[in-house]
Amino acid sequence: MNAGREWRVVVALGRRATTVQFRRAQLLMPTFVLPLMLLAVIASGTSAAQGLRGFPDVASYLTFVVPGTIVQGTILAGLTAGIALASDIEFGFFDRLLAAPVHRTSLVLGRLWGTFVLALLQSSFFLLVALAFGANYPGGVAGAVATVALAAITAVGMGGISSAIALRTGSLSLLQSLFPFMFVLLFTAPAFFPRELLAPVLEDVSVFNPLTYVVEGVRGLLAGDADLGDPATGYAAAVGLAVATTGLATVALKERLRRT
Amino acid sequence: MTAVAFTLWRRSLNEVLRVRGALLPATVAPLVFMLGISGQFQRLVGLDGFPTDSYLSWIVPLSCLQGAGFAGAATGSNLARDIEQGWFDRLLVAPVPRPLLVIGPILGAVTRSLVPATVVLVVGLAVGAELTGGVPGLIALYAAAAGFCAVAALWGTFLAVTFRTQQAGPLMQQGVFLAVFLSTAYTPEVLLRGWLADVAHLNPVTHVLEMARQATVVGIEPSLAHTLPGVAALVGLATFFGALAMAGLRRMGR
Repeated sequence: MNAGREWRVVVALGRRATTVQFRRAQLLMPTFVLPLMLLAVIASGTSAAQGLRGFPDVASYLTFVVPGTIVQGTILAGLTAGIALASDIEFGFFDRLLAAPVHRTSLVLGRLWGTFVLALLQSSFFLLVALAFGANYPGGVAGAVATVALAAITAVGMGGISSAIALRTGSLSLLQSLFPFMFVLLFTAPAFFPRELLAPVLEDVSVFNPLTYVVEGVRGLLAGDADLGDPATGYAAAVGLAVATTGLATVALKERLRRT
Repeated sequence: MTAVAFTLWRRSLNEVLRVRGALLPATVAPLVFMLGISGQFQRLVGLDGFPTDSYLSWIVPLSCLQGAGFAGAATGSNLARDIEQGWFDRLLVAPVPRPLLVIGPILGAVTRSLVPATVVLVVGLAVGAELTGGVPGLIALYAAAAGFCAVAALWGTFLAVTFRTQQAGPLMQQGVFLAVFLSTAYTPEVLLRGWLADVAHLNPVTHVLEMARQATVVGIEPSLAHTLPGVAALVGLATFFGALAMAGLRRMGR
């Protein structure tokens, strides 16, 4: 394998994925608007929760729930990758890529590059909007930058899952209906409430959900307080998820090639 | 004339049988939200002012309305598809009053909405929600869900005849999402803070939710006082979006 050539393939496909995404910006609207809508409603609708016994002593409830919004964004950005890939498969573009003499993993990584860029922009946007509406980040600029990077890696992990499903099924309509199923991952993590205050079943399940460690990591980074979440564990979970699901998508691609 | 509406009603129901998983998003999304939100926020019932000690019982009616609303909004997506593919043009030249062309699909949506509302209710009751309102509460819940579905269908129809493209689909769904969540979705009005308290107070869907909550929330007993504002809100919303949809429909083909 020629590493330099494969790198150029990943960059070229990544650039295409990014361009195509923003060329049809109206289709990206839900990934930017929906999490902010939910943030606005949750921040106002459940802020009385700060009065509950066991709720961490935080300066701003809005800041506490922003990590949930960031993780929600990574799920939607990841889903966008699967939808775009299924669209490429249905309309024949992906078949043309398969005829090229390049490594199969590069085709998957190229697609996920677009997701990475989308998540960088999206999570920066969320942090800025929340800041404008009163959130504060004691973790400073470094914490915010580390949050954006963590979100982008997590989005790659989410994109790996949806890409694997797209490659396995090739169905655009299935991917478009996947949104509620992916949200199971959000709700089984302490996205909007501390882990200790979740329903007991959910608290038990959340231990096995990598997004639990990501959301707590983001919380720790933004608050500059490792008691709220360990950023290193968050990064480890995000990288592990990204590697595992990219591998899963590559296997799905190879299986697809065997079938067709 | 009623035969036209009846035929179009049957056509919209056929879609459920012919399109695999047609009802899946409208059923699964509210289920996931119901289980997820109640798992996340169940401790909120410990706050003073919360009328029930079961957060699941608080959320079940919301999810029923959400499922019914998504089923209703799908009427708009289907109509936009019919417009794009030219099928609706053929209906427009038929010698029947135009409102009849949308009444059938709206009735179809109301019929279809029984599926997500029932699935959400049954799952909710199975995992711990309480049916405190008995039969009167149940009737109020289904009436609220059916009425909200019809309102969402009229909203979807209005957008479909205005934009005439399926790309307006997300807007139809997000309208329902916003209407439901900018109300007393998560907590009662006394516990809402800031701008949401004002918006929820003005949002007619707050009254529709209260009507639906007579089924499962112990602090909201079945009564006319909890029903009539919801009915009035549904009639008002249906009149408003119905008028917009009919105006758009009249403009078509001119």
